[in-house]
Amino acid sequence: MTVKVEKIEGGIPHTTIMIAGLIASLVFLYLTYANVIMGTEYFAFFGGLATVAALVWGSHTIKHLCSYGIGTGVPSAGMIAFGSGVIAMLFATKYGVAAPVVAVILAAIIGLILGYVANNVLNMRIPVMIQSLTEMAIIGALVLMGYAAMMTGSFELTSLTTGNVVILGLSLPSYQASFLGGALIATAFMLGAIAIQHPFNACLGPNWTQDRMLMLAAECGFLSMITAAVMSMPLISMSAALVSLFVAIIGWYYTYTKYIELSRRDAAAWLDSKPIPEIVEGQ
Amino acid sequence: MSAVAAKPTAGGAVDMTAMIIGLIILLVVIAATYFVFGSGLAFMALIGIIVGGILIGFGVHFVPVGGAPAAMGQAPGIATGVAMLAAGAGLAGLFGGAWAAEQGVVVATITGAIGGGLMMAITCMFVTFIYVFGMGIPCASGKVAKDPITGDTQAEFKSQGTEGHGLPFVSYVGGVIGGLFGGAGGTLIYLMLLDLYKEELPAMMNALPGQVLPIAVTLAGMFAIGMFLVNAVLAAYNITGTIEGPHDPKFKRFPRAIVASAVASAVCGIVAIMIVAV
Repeated sequence: MTVKVEKIEGGIPHTTIMIAGLIASLVFLYLTYANVIMGTEYFAFFGGLATVAALVWGSHTIKHLCSYGIGTGVPSAGMIAFGSGVIAMLFATKYGVAAPVVAVILAAIIGLILGYVANNVLNMRIPVMIQSLTEMAIIGALVLMGYAAMMTGSFELTSLTTGNVVILGLSLPSYQASFLGGALIATAFMLGAIAIQHPFNACLGPNWTQDRMLMLAAECGFLSMITAAVMSMPLISMSAALVSLFVAIIGWYYTYTKYIELSRRDAAAWLDSKPIPEIVEGQ
Repeated sequence: MSAVAAKPTAGGAVDMTAMIIGLIILLVVIAATYFVFGSGLAFMALIGIIVGGILIGFGVHFVPVGGAPAAMGQAPGIATGVAMLAAGAGLAGLFGGAWAAEQGVVVATITGAIGGGLMMAITCMFVTFIYVFGMGIPCASGKVAKDPITGDTQAEFKSQGTEGHGLPFVSYVGGVIGGLFGGAGGTLIYLMLLDLYKEELPAMMNALPGQVLPIAVTLAGMFAIGMFLVNAVLAAYNITGTIEGPHDPKFKRFPRAIVASAVASAVCGIVAIMIVAV
């Protein structure tokens, strides 16, 4: 017997968010392929936008799953999403231009089996368990592929494993200065796993509102994108990395101000306590 | 019904049909690996991954996970979720084992186990310090009348309206055993994948073995972390979030977790192997 604790009342239905998140994420990932076609690296920032789209979808999936009270805490959902997603994503990068689609299909298969195991073998009996874990694995794979595309300008295995080191003016190929060889993927893993679980963990409760949580998800996504843009500086050209950084900071500032606005709207009352109180002499 | 009472009441029941379907998936994956790759390094890697995954899933059942009620002194255990504890113990073990990877599978796995066990021993000790001297609560179990190891009675130390509090001795020992299993399992997955990648990557990428070593280490490490988290969270679902340790009645649910971990590790493992072998 399971009881659904909170109902989603009003707002955008989950299916709409799921379809929009999947399509937006895939379209943004394929826009980074313009790098290969046009021979530049300036389109890398679309990888970051793909992660934001997938993270917004993911935070709503976590809300969908965790409203049943799974008992293990919200962060565990983010961890299983990326644990299963990273495996699908790394295998899919072998398929070149088809990588994002292969990642989605493979992650769906892995997620489906994990969902079946959790729901039936472990006897969780939660109606949305299988669907949610399938979505989570897809989201994990798409977010990691987005970071890979943003940091290296491409989502193919060869460019994820090979970088360039300039020694005395000579450009030499190096496997250490790459997304995989430099273990940047470990940082991308945690950037995504924390960004996906934080919005629902922070916004849950009786006054949960959908637009506020999704705005926080976008804010977390852009905040992670700022870090990813800084990490992309050694791997892609500095001007392309600065374009990513610029887009990330603009997006973060916009979503952050909107989130504060929505938090004030939902709060019963708020007081702007200044960071450092002014001490008036002679009192 | 309030949010507190609405936790899933999965109970200890075993769904035999689902268990058999799970075992069939496991056998299909093992058979597929054997027929595609033969009985070489790839097949051994899959077996190692499955054994490692089972060790992780089984080990989580020993760890006293208290969650939010423990932080408020209303339930025994360490006051955080499985994902955090397992990541801590598993990664400590994995880092310990990775240092010893060149010494062979046995030495490295034992080193990983000691790393995970040490991490859990230190965590349990400081958790007890904070419970006893910081929060001012004695350690008492709510699930058993007497501590199975020391024989100390528990009931007179337990506050009314709680399920026990603090970290009883048996939970401490359980935490260390869980850390040993988790660290060993994570290290075993890492070692098996590292051996496979060191063997296959130079030919696949057309480079010298020394050049691809960073990539082999990262790939094996990421897959080990990914599989560790998947197995730990599945085991957490099995105990519905909290457990006191090996004396808890929920511990008897571990056969389900072993099947679940084996299936999940096999499915993730075959994909991790295919990245170099297809």
